[in-house]
Amino acid sequence: MNTKQFLISGWTWNPMVIAAAVIALVVYWISFRDRSRIGYLVAAQTVFLLALVSPINALADGYLFSAHMLQHILLLLIVPVLVLLALPRDFALSEKVSWLANPLLGWLAGVGSMWLWHAPALCNAAVSSRPVYAAQTISLLALGSLFWWQVIAPREEDRLSPPAAIIYLFTACTACSVLGIILTFSPVTVCPIYMHVQDRLGLLETIRSDWGMTPERDQQIGGLLMWVPMCAIYLFAILAQLARWFSPSRTEEHAR
Amino acid sequence: MNESSTALPHHGLLSLEQKMHWRIAWISTVDHKRLGILYMITGLVFFVAGGLEALFIRLQLAIPNNHLVSPDTFNQLFTLHGTTMLFLVAMPVLFGLANYFIPLQIGARDMAFPRLNAFGFWLVPFGGILLHFSLLAGGAPAVGWFAYTPLSERPFSSQLGVDYWALSLLVLGIGSVSTGFNIIATVLCMRGPGMTLRRIPLFTWINFINAFIVILAIPVLNAALVMLLIDRRLDAHFFLPQQGGSAIIYQHIFWAFGHPEVYILALPAFGIISEVVPVFSRKPIFGYEFVAGSSIAIGLLSFGVWAHHMFTVGMGRAADSFFAIASMLIAIPTGVKVLNWSATMVGGRIRLTTPMLFAIAFLIHFTCAGLTGVSHAMAALDWQTKNSYFLIAHFHFVAVGAIVFAIFAALHYWFPKMSGRMLSERLGRWEFWLMVIGFNLTFIIQHFLGLAGMPRRVFTYPDLPGWGWMNMVSTIGAFFMTAASLIFVYNLANSFFRGAPAGDNPWNAWTLEWATPSPPPHDNFDALPPIHSRRPLWDLANPGRPDPVVGPQGKADVANLEKNKTSVLAFILSEAGFFGVLILAFLYYNANPQPGPGPRDLNLSKTLIFSLCLFASSFTIWRSEVALHLEKHHAMKLWLALTILLGGIFLIGQGMEYWALFQSGVAVNSNLFATSFFTLTGFHGIHVGVGLIALLIVLAMALAGDFEKKKSTTLEAISLYWHFVDVVWLLVLTVVYLLPRLR
Repeated sequence: MNTKQFLISGWTWNPMVIAAAVIALVVYWISFRDRSRIGYLVAAQTVFLLALVSPINALADGYLFSAHMLQHILLLLIVPVLVLLALPRDFALSEKVSWLANPLLGWLAGVGSMWLWHAPALCNAAVSSRPVYAAQTISLLALGSLFWWQVIAPREEDRLSPPAAIIYLFTACTACSVLGIILTFSPVTVCPIYMHVQDRLGLLETIRSDWGMTPERDQQIGGLLMWVPMCAIYLFAILAQLARWFSPSRTEEHAR
Repeated sequence: MNESSTALPHHGLLSLEQKMHWRIAWISTVDHKRLGILYMITGLVFFVAGGLEALFIRLQLAIPNNHLVSPDTFNQLFTLHGTTMLFLVAMPVLFGLANYFIPLQIGARDMAFPRLNAFGFWLVPFGGILLHFSLLAGGAPAVGWFAYTPLSERPFSSQLGVDYWALSLLVLGIGSVSTGFNIIATVLCMRGPGMTLRRIPLFTWINFINAFIVILAIPVLNAALVMLLIDRRLDAHFFLPQQGGSAIIYQHIFWAFGHPEVYILALPAFGIISEVVPVFSRKPIFGYEFVAGSSIAIGLLSFGVWAHHMFTVGMGRAADSFFAIASMLIAIPTGVKVLNWSATMVGGRIRLTTPMLFAIAFLIHFTCAGLTGVSHAMAALDWQTKNSYFLIAHFHFVAVGAIVFAIFAALHYWFPKMSGRMLSERLGRWEFWLMVIGFNLTFIIQHFLGLAGMPRRVFTYPDLPGWGWMNMVSTIGAFFMTAASLIFVYNLANSFFRGAPAGDNPWNAWTLEWATPSPPPHDNFDALPPIHSRRPLWDLANPGRPDPVVGPQGKADVANLEKNKTSVLAFILSEAGFFGVLILAFLYYNANPQPGPGPRDLNLSKTLIFSLCLFASSFTIWRSEVALHLEKHHAMKLWLALTILLGGIFLIGQGMEYWALFQSGVAVNSNLFATSFFTLTGFHGIHVGVGLIALLIVLAMALAGDFEKKKSTTLEAISLYWHFVDVVWLLVLTVVYLLPRLR
């Protein structure tokens, strides 16, 4: 299978994924009367489907560690952000689950999900077992939402103060960079399943010779993706916090 | 000294009562202003040394096939020149300015920790002496300022020069880190009433951001230095490929420090320019928020792009591409700053005083340096120009054209405040033009030399077409810069005694340091003006049209933090960087099993028992804090003593483990496992020991009844450190003892 054939046929029409996207849209439509921010939800759905339906998913499914990492970044750092932005601005967590909105928990959720799913055993299991893979996807979305809640919760009072948010994001960025550095420079394979590819689609020849992706380079790119672009996302969030800090807030306008 | 001829009180030099004991008045001082001046004088002294080294380099290179100095002397000269100029000139002078002006700009009486400040300063001359002592002890280091391994390892540099170099940088590094968290604590904890974090002047803000880079980057260098020293003195081989080590890892660790180091020097320069340009354009800075924010962006990016120093090492195309893109990103925040400064000048009433002239030259040089810099981010171009004079020209445009010019701007701008007298403008113009002409003569031509193929770090060169005259032009330029520097020193000395009195605010500037007499009295301010905006003195002078109020926003913006805990947290941050490197190094060196002793030879069950003691001590120290909070002083002492006991048991346990290993023939140099194991656990052990000493001091204070008399945060601060040491041990236990057994 060459690259062109793969791009045409490499789509994973997983009914569960598409159903989840449709259900989320319906639930949003029914739950909220103020639907002015539905554009964000549509964007979130697009990225969600891009990660799980497009050829990225086929590559991540046992072929390329770097594609798996791209999927990971999209599900943990992009989709939850867009979902939180889609919520109406007066949305708050109910009393029963308000304990989830804890900065330490949020930080551990964001950083822990990255580290945990890259332990060799779990990383392998997520590729070889469907239920584990589903658990991984759901946990990434959920833990990502917990992480970002601290920074972009709909209501201002639910968010960390800008300086605290900057420290929150900076330390998370450092913790993920360290993992990225380990993956990039590690002399051993972190996720061995990508070393011994089961060539279901007949694509391996194309990947190895046409794309020039050896297993070593693949892991290096995976590590670099986690290190450089991920940090760029955190950096962007930090700049947004600065903008928030320097702009006069509503309470301040009120006080004047 | 002709003091009677003027009416100026010489607070800056010696006050009346200090005349009585003048011999120690400056040596024993803890006043941030004097320490600032001492920093700058030390920098000036080493500037002479580094400058002479540079002149010898240029004289040797003036004509082809020259034999003024021998190859080995030449290597020593450029090594000393680089190390001296970066660590003993630029950093001390910039720290000196920060020391002097941060407390003044935020309306504080002194730095948060005056004695720590003195400690940080005195390490600078000590480190400088250590470095230059190598000249007497059988050969200065001759390995370049980054001392790449394996050249700097003992088989290739057998003399003591590299050891002195590493020790000296360790000493200087410890001083820098202590100054770093002193600055952080000062800005967070010592601001005057009304001086919220969003109102602080840009010089202070940028130095504040810079202090974070200092405390995060310097420990990384320290880790590389101790590993190099362990290699050299204890026959280990972290960085010796012949015995399984990795020379590339040294490069990674060094540049993980080395790239942020560029910003450690450049950011304070940006801070200076952000003060000078608005004052002499008679306009507030254009886009304060953007200057402030882009500094944070630069700081963060600086940690992610070090590998662009290593494009030619062969990291692979993937890594090269990522780091090329990331490095180009830095052009955005720096470009934002250049636009901010330019836009500040547009439409302003520009006064071309000496500081402003230097600032404008800074802008032009820095833009050129940025252009050659961003072109180096392209790996393909970097391959061609790396290690040629093109690179030399690039980084001297940053280090001299930008940073030194900014320092000159700062010294001309603030000299009136520090001395109470104006520098001569006429001499200032001579300095400026000689410096500009000399600098550009020296370094513009080096771009072409590099493109013509002249490599750096060669002691002489053949008479190839063009090389001879271009090098001669460069050498002539160096002498112009020497002349400028000599006039500057004369100007300083002459104006100090005979300059025109400056008054409080000779430049009509707007920040708080100009609201107090020149030189400032010992306590800095009698009373602070009201602070509602970023330019309090403008508001004071123009009550009819004050600057818009910059409102406080929430607690984080207004409240001063508690300084003991703040500084310990900053200290922990920097220690995390140090241990991070050691832990990553352990993981790297033990990724594959190797012959000889390995993790499975360690006695896990015994270690777990001692670990439990250490973890339990985190609990007991917490109980001690609770007891103190409830004012149960007796219980507090008991819990504290128990903590010390548990920590002691841990250390004894570790000692027993070491002893058993030594008995079975495992030494530091047995293999890479042993080396990395002893390094990591040994440094952790040292930290436990330091923690125990601190706890013993707290216990002594408690026994003396200090905690009953007044509320103190000492115990809380030390306990933060103690918890940190325990968390590090949790990581070490996992990485060293548990993970290898899972395989």
